[in-house]
Amino acid sequence: MRPGIGDLTEPRQPKGTEPSEAELIERAKLGDAEAFQGLYDKHKRRVYSLCLRMTANTAEAEDLAQEAFLQLYRKIATFRGESAFSTWLHRLSVNVVLMHLRKKSLPVVSLEETTQGTEEDSPKRDFGADDVALAGSIDRMQLQRAVESLPPGYRMIFVLHDIEGYEHNEIAKIAGCSIGNSKSQLHKARMKLRDLLKMNRAEEAGKTRAG
Amino acid sequence: MNCVELQQSLAEVEDGSSLEQRAHLRACPACSALVNELNLIVAAAGELQAAEEPSPRVWNSIEFALRQEGLIRPQRPLVPSFSARWGAARWLVPMAAMLLLALGIYVRRESLPNQMAQQASVAVPAANSSDLNDADLMQEVVDNEPAMKTQYAENLRQVNESIRDAQGVVDESPNDEDARRSLMDAYQQKSMLFQMAMDRSLP
Ligand SMILES: [Zn+2]
Repeated sequence: MRPGIGDLTEPRQPKGTEPSEAELIERAKLGDAEAFQGLYDKHKRRVYSLCLRMTANTAEAEDLAQEAFLQLYRKIATFRGESAFSTWLHRLSVNVVLMHLRKKSLPVVSLEETTQGTEEDSPKRDFGADDVALAGSIDRMQLQRAVESLPPGYRMIFVLHDIEGYEHNEIAKIAGCSIGNSKSQLHKARMKLRDLLKMNRAEEAGKTRAG
Repeated sequence: MNCVELQQSLAEVEDGSSLEQRAHLRACPACSALVNELNLIVAAAGELQAAEEPSPRVWNSIEFALRQEGLIRPQRPLVPSFSARWGAARWLVPMAAMLLLALGIYVRRESLPNQMAQQASVAVPAANSSDLNDADLMQEVVDNEPAMKTQYAENLRQVNESIRDAQGVVDESPNDEDARRSLMDAYQQKSMLFQMAMDRSLP
C-alpha cells in the first residue's frame, strides 16, 4: 500500500488544483515538509482563533496552537482518513488549552459556587446601562473584545458553545462538569456579555454627547 | 412565572420558546427585550470568524521541532535547490559550501562500502561550521524579520549545542555509526535554519 519514493519526486500538481486533505495527510506520514505546512495552513486560523479566544493572550495562544499542531503531527502516522481530521485537531486544541488553563490554576469551570444564585448573578442587577438597548446588529469587534474580557470560566463555555458550536454534553465531558452546570454557566456568560456590550454602548453614547 | 423565574429558566430553554416562557414574555416587555438581546448575541457569536492569523513564529517552531524529531524527512535531492536558492545570498555562500560538503560526504557515505565510508566520515568533523556565519544569519534575520530574532537565536543556540554534543561523541568514537548520523542530522538542522532565514529574505 505504501507508495514508492518515486511518487514523491514526481512533478507537483498543476496550479489551481490543491492537494486534498487526505493526500496531505498521506504525504505528511511520509515526512513531507510541504504536506505538514499545507495542513497547518488549512487549519491555523481556526486553531489559533480558538486558542486566542480562550486565553485572550496572543503569546499564550501562539504557544498553544503550536503545541496542538505538534501533538497532532506526532500522532499523524496513526491517522486514517480525512473526515475526522479537523474534528480531531479541534478537540486536541481544546484539550491543550484546558490543560494550560488548569496548570495556571485558573477556574476552568467553577463547579459549586455557580449552582446557587449569588447576589452578583441576580437578575435585578443594574449596571446603569439598562436604558441602552442592544438593537440592530452587534459589532464583531465589540463582541470580540467583550468575550475577551469575560472571566475565564464563562469565556471558555461561551467560546465552546456559541462560537465553536459544541453541545452541552460535549462541553461537560471536556471540562469535567455537569451538563446543568455548563448550561447555567453559558447563560451567565451571555448575561455578562450583554452587560459588557451595554456598558460599552453607554460609554460610547456618553463620549458622543460629551464631544 | 415571574421575571426572576423567567431569567433562570433561560439556562434550560435558551430561546424562551417554552409555553410558560412565552406567556410571560407576551406580558413583559423587559424580559422580552432581554431574550431578544441574548438571541442577538448568540447570532453574532455564531458569525465570529476564525480570522486571526498566528505569526510566522508558530510555523517556524513547528517545522523546527518536526525536523528535530525526524517527522519531517528530507525527500528531494537537496543539492540543486540549495545552490539555486543560496546563490542569491552573499553571506550564505561559504556556509552553503560547508554544508554541501558535509551533506555530500553523508550522501556518498551512504552509497559507499563501509570501509570507505569510515574514511570519508573523518572529514565531517573537519567541516566544523558550527560557529561559521552565525552572526551573519542573525544580522539577516534582524534586517528582514526583527520579530523573529529571539526565535532564531534560540534555535541557533539549540542546534549548535546539538552539533557540539554530537561532535564530542564522534571525536570519542569515530566509528560509531549512530553518532555520525546524529552529527549529520544536527548539521542538516542548521542548514535548514539558514534556509528558513534565506527563504524569508528573498523578495
Ligand atoms: Zn419579566
